Amino acid sequence: MTTRRDFMATAALGATTLALAPRATWAKPTGGKPPMRFVFLHKGNGLFPSVMVPPSLGKDDAATEAKKGPLNLDLTKHELPEWMKPLAAHTSDLTILQGLSGKMCTTGHHTWCSSLGVFKANERVSSIKWATVDFELARLFPSPMGHVELACFPLGGGNARGTLNGIATGFSARGPQQPNYAFGSPKLAVQELFKSVSADKEVQAKSQLGRTALEFAAKREADKVPTYASSLEAVRERDRKVDAMADAIRPHVPKLDAKYLADEMTTVDRQRGHVEVLLAALLSGLTNVVAFTVDELGHEYTGLPGLETEKVNLHDVGHGKGFGKLTADEVRFAVRKQHMKLVDTIAARLKAAPEGDGTVFDNTMIFYFPDNGETHHSQGTEYPFVVLSGKNAKLDIRGKYIRLPNYGEPGHKTLGNWYTTLLNAHGNPVKHYGDLDPGLARFGVDQTGPIKQFVG
Amino acid sequence: MSVWNCLPVVALVAVGGVVGPIRAADPPFAIPKDVQGVLTKYCADCHGAKASGGVRLDGLETLKLNDRLDVLNKVQDQLFFGMMPPPKEDQPAAKEAKVLADWVRAELRQYKASKLDDRLPYPDAGNYVDHTSLFDGSNTEKAFTPARRWLVSPQIFDERVLDVFGLEGKERDNFRRSGFYGVTNPFVLPDHSGVRYYDLTHLDGSHLLVMLTNAEWIAGKQLQAARVKVGDPKATPADPKDKWAPKTAPAAFEVVVTKKGAPTDDEITAAVQTQFGLVLQRQATDAELGQYLTLTRDAIKLAGNTEGLRQMLKAVLLESEFVYRLEFGEGKPDEAGRVPLSPREASYAIAFALGDRGPDAQLLKAAGDGKLTTKADYEREVRRLLADPAYFAGPVDKSLGFFPPTTATHPRLVRFVREFFGYPAAVKVFKDGKRADGYYANADRGNTQTPGRLIDEADRVVLWAMDRDQAVFETLLTTDKYYVYHPHDNKQGPAQIDKWKAVYEALKDTDWKRDPEQVAVDHADVIKKYIDPKGTTGKSKANHDNSIVRLMTHFEYTFGKGRTPFTVLPWAHGNHYWYSPLYNLPSMPGQGGKYGGDDLLDYQPVQPFALPNRKGILTHPAWLVAFSANTASDPIRRGKWIREKLLAGVVPDVPITVDAKVPDDPHKTLRERVSAVTQSAACVKCHSRMNALGYPLEQFDDFGRFRTLEPLEHPDNLIKTGNGKSTFDVYKTKPIDPTGVLSGTGDAKLDGPVKDSFDLIDRLVKSDRVRQSIIRHAFRFFMGRNELPSDSRTLIDADQAYLKSGGSFNAVVVSLLTSDSFVYRKKPGS
Repeated sequence: MTTRRDFMATAALGATTLALAPRATWAKPTGGKPPMRFVFLHKGNGLFPSVMVPPSLGKDDAATEAKKGPLNLDLTKHELPEWMKPLAAHTSDLTILQGLSGKMCTTGHHTWCSSLGVFKANERVSSIKWATVDFELARLFPSPMGHVELACFPLGGGNARGTLNGIATGFSARGPQQPNYAFGSPKLAVQELFKSVSADKEVQAKSQLGRTALEFAAKREADKVPTYASSLEAVRERDRKVDAMADAIRPHVPKLDAKYLADEMTTVDRQRGHVEVLLAALLSGLTNVVAFTVDELGHEYTGLPGLETEKVNLHDVGHGKGFGKLTADEVRFAVRKQHMKLVDTIAARLKAAPEGDGTVFDNTMIFYFPDNGETHHSQGTEYPFVVLSGKNAKLDIRGKYIRLPNYGEPGHKTLGNWYTTLLNAHGNPVKHYGDLDPGLARFGVDQTGPIKQFVG
Repeated sequence: MSVWNCLPVVALVAVGGVVGPIRAADPPFAIPKDVQGVLTKYCADCHGAKASGGVRLDGLETLKLNDRLDVLNKVQDQLFFGMMPPPKEDQPAAKEAKVLADWVRAELRQYKASKLDDRLPYPDAGNYVDHTSLFDGSNTEKAFTPARRWLVSPQIFDERVLDVFGLEGKERDNFRRSGFYGVTNPFVLPDHSGVRYYDLTHLDGSHLLVMLTNAEWIAGKQLQAARVKVGDPKATPADPKDKWAPKTAPAAFEVVVTKKGAPTDDEITAAVQTQFGLVLQRQATDAELGQYLTLTRDAIKLAGNTEGLRQMLKAVLLESEFVYRLEFGEGKPDEAGRVPLSPREASYAIAFALGDRGPDAQLLKAAGDGKLTTKADYEREVRRLLADPAYFAGPVDKSLGFFPPTTATHPRLVRFVREFFGYPAAVKVFKDGKRADGYYANADRGNTQTPGRLIDEADRVVLWAMDRDQAVFETLLTTDKYYVYHPHDNKQGPAQIDKWKAVYEALKDTDWKRDPEQVAVDHADVIKKYIDPKGTTGKSKANHDNSIVRLMTHFEYTFGKGRTPFTVLPWAHGNHYWYSPLYNLPSMPGQGGKYGGDDLLDYQPVQPFALPNRKGILTHPAWLVAFSANTASDPIRRGKWIREKLLAGVVPDVPITVDAKVPDDPHKTLRERVSAVTQSAACVKCHSRMNALGYPLEQFDDFGRFRTLEPLEHPDNLIKTGNGKSTFDVYKTKPIDPTGVLSGTGDAKLDGPVKDSFDLIDRLVKSDRVRQSIIRHAFRFFMGRNELPSDSRTLIDADQAYLKSGGSFNAVVVSLLTSDSFVYRKKPGS
């Protein structure tokens, strides 16, 4: 990859884990501008490109779409696909983006960090080549927590294969060979993220114990390994900063119903609970970037509308198995629609939160996409995206249905181009983010750099 | 003698200079007369008013300090790498060059601004110390290693966690392979070839987050059995996948957990000492005990016995000592200011040199009994442990993901060869498998696929050479004996094939095609005896069953055609053996259920076996893939590897401003295109050190296939378009030019034009410098640092040990681990 030098040089600038950076500035943006926020929601089992298409396309556009030819349409003049209708109120902020390929990612059933990192990740930590794009963005907009990851972990196969209610390896990566950790349950996430303002005595005691241990360790190491001691001090400093933000955080502590705090809950409730945590973390200023695994390959879905009594194995659905009275396609529809309700909740609540002359949503981008591409057993030919962007987002894509040139055609773009666009637009000058696709070389497609037409 | 003084320098640069006007803020600056003379004589023409390359040396005295230091650093680099004056210009005599180099270095060191000095400890600067002076015996300084804290390797970390739980035997082996559910290794090594585990890294924030998570999980498991005993409802993790439940907790922990009231100081002390023993493998000092007693008492007061104890356990697990090797030495310094390792330190140093786990009982006893103080003691223990087939035994590389993994008695010694050659990096190179006619599968989810198999097969060649322990370096560089598909050993494989042959002979003249059921009945005894009785009737439709029709079809195309079938059947579940064409061997019969064609694999059950057109690791597909680009071979990196690893040479870093691309040209080979783009004056200075060594290896493509013709993979040259599944694109070709030039061996009989890669390798292996370069890398591997001029005697002794033993790597190991460099430590400033 001819641009790796530039990439590594840029990446190295942000190599320190934000959560441990003692001098990072956060909470209040510099220059009076609020920080940008980024929310990445990814799903398992693929996302069919065909279901992304507005049903109201004219004959010519439909023909172009069928041939996967390039399109750039005003979405506000079209009807949204039925499952996407929960986002109808946000159509002018919405982008349906099609045609990105990702063959340089691991494809197939499940792909771990691939779709966020644009490299071939597998079960081995050593396969993580660099920080995933969400972490790169988090470095551009520092915050006390730096980055928060939430997950509905699967129990029946796939990555990340964590504990339903615990903290386990997530989908994002902090750096080369450094997987991130994700909160599996809303309860645990609340406890950990908001422990500084918790009223629960057990949580308070645990929090106090943790702080004492850090202080003890920092003192013990001061004369032995200074770099380690300063890292311990950095965590303490972060805790102190969070403590100082207590008044700002307290109003946003999620007030979750008991069902969201239980160890046993439906998948849908777990998702809703995580969304509350996600919103609270963003609105309180604890973080500006959240990654959220809404489901994964082997998820056993419970609580789906119409299938409340069923335990729906998404892997089986991927292989065409129906559940209850629903066919596999109908289950997929229900799952996607449920996801759109979550996205709507996030967007609506951020739009209701004032910030400067506008709202928090004005400074937010939300991405919904599959972790493994176009279908259950994907090849990486397409990675469809649903994007919601506030008016201060730096990309000229709002309110559009965009289909980029098909794989191998002139002007074709990859996930790497897409993330390069995001990074460049928000202050990271990397020439190209991610691995290249050697298969594209034979088509003579220039696959480096941003998608220029997206840069406003 | 300084490092710099040992370097072969030529001179460079510029002009004039007298004592300049002193700026108020800058210190005085003057160029001595003798230096001025050299600059004027050799540098002035280009680096005066002409300012060639943007460097002007005729006004150094007028520059601000930082600007001047910047220029002097550039001068120093040019001198050090022998880049100036250009070869066609007059060259300074050695004395003149030294005058200039010494002055530049002194000027920079005066302000601690020498960038070259900063780089010296790092792996990529290992060759900066002049090779000749290390081996000519001129340096008589006493060898030592600086006193140090050395961060454990990823492998040692895994073993230390096993130690915390006190696991041994089968349970230890199992967890060694699988790892612990809640433990993430915080340490990673870089991917580059060459020795990678140095004493330069320190614990920092990137490790801390993982350390905190690990400590939480480990402490939880240490307490789990005791909590179960008292009926704690939260004792068992809620996560059903976190299955491991230790049967017992350490007694001292159980006492605290099960006690109704607060524990006594004695009970807390016992718990602290237990945790110190498990984690740090020593007892706490009185001072430490005092601190931990306070911490634990306060924590118990706040949160109760169990949580308070957990706090203490975690705190010990967060001690940096848990993940450091301490090597400070003890005793009275000798006349050179050196002290030997303490017996305890020595026991760990020896154990971690030979393996990844701490000392065995015998080594600890030797240390405890005062029998680990002399070099004879060291040698006795090193030889004993090298002969021990069990203590360090384990997988060569569990990350390849194969089961069972290839194992070694001393995996760490194999790791040296792996790191030196760098072939395990093959798994990181992403290929378009269609370009290899579908015979190459990238490492993917859950499977390292073709590159993983190639690496494993290269590992076996290495193991074979190391087991013989004679002419090891020569064998690694020149053997034509390879392993290709060898899941069964040299007894199991032929035995399996004999059984199949018996079935084939018994059934070949029967009506198995039309009436397999009857044949199965008629020959039930043979079938039952020699092949899996399940699924032999011909009725089975399962994907992986051995039906009679399937077997006999396969045997007809193998035994029936005079070939030997591979010991894994083509339809076997999990069969990944399709890549024999990468070794220029025919493809497997039965791939995709298809037979036909005459050119099919005739399997070799006894391995290694000789392959044509192969010569050592540099022609092994694993190495060739590792040193290739995504879509082409990489003569520059291949040449750079030879220059640096075999010839102990140096190649300057690529200037940060260079973003070189090999130009497209449908009519030219890669060599021709690379040559065209690297011939400019700015490029050729560095590329002349690499390209001519890499070009001969153009005989092998980026998948490791030997070739005489190079496909010109450009749309203009497409002869036939394939479907990418069963047929593949075919391009026009052009003959390979495999000639090159060997330089830098220090032996005029070896240097010079080479006709191809085999000629190049044959000459390399005869070179003393090549052998010594491998010895230098072995030194770095076992010492965890670059060699210093004072390590000269250590290197000479190791080289002699190799020669006198007929090429035994074990002899090199013994020599290095009994050297002054290994035994002595020296504190900074002593």
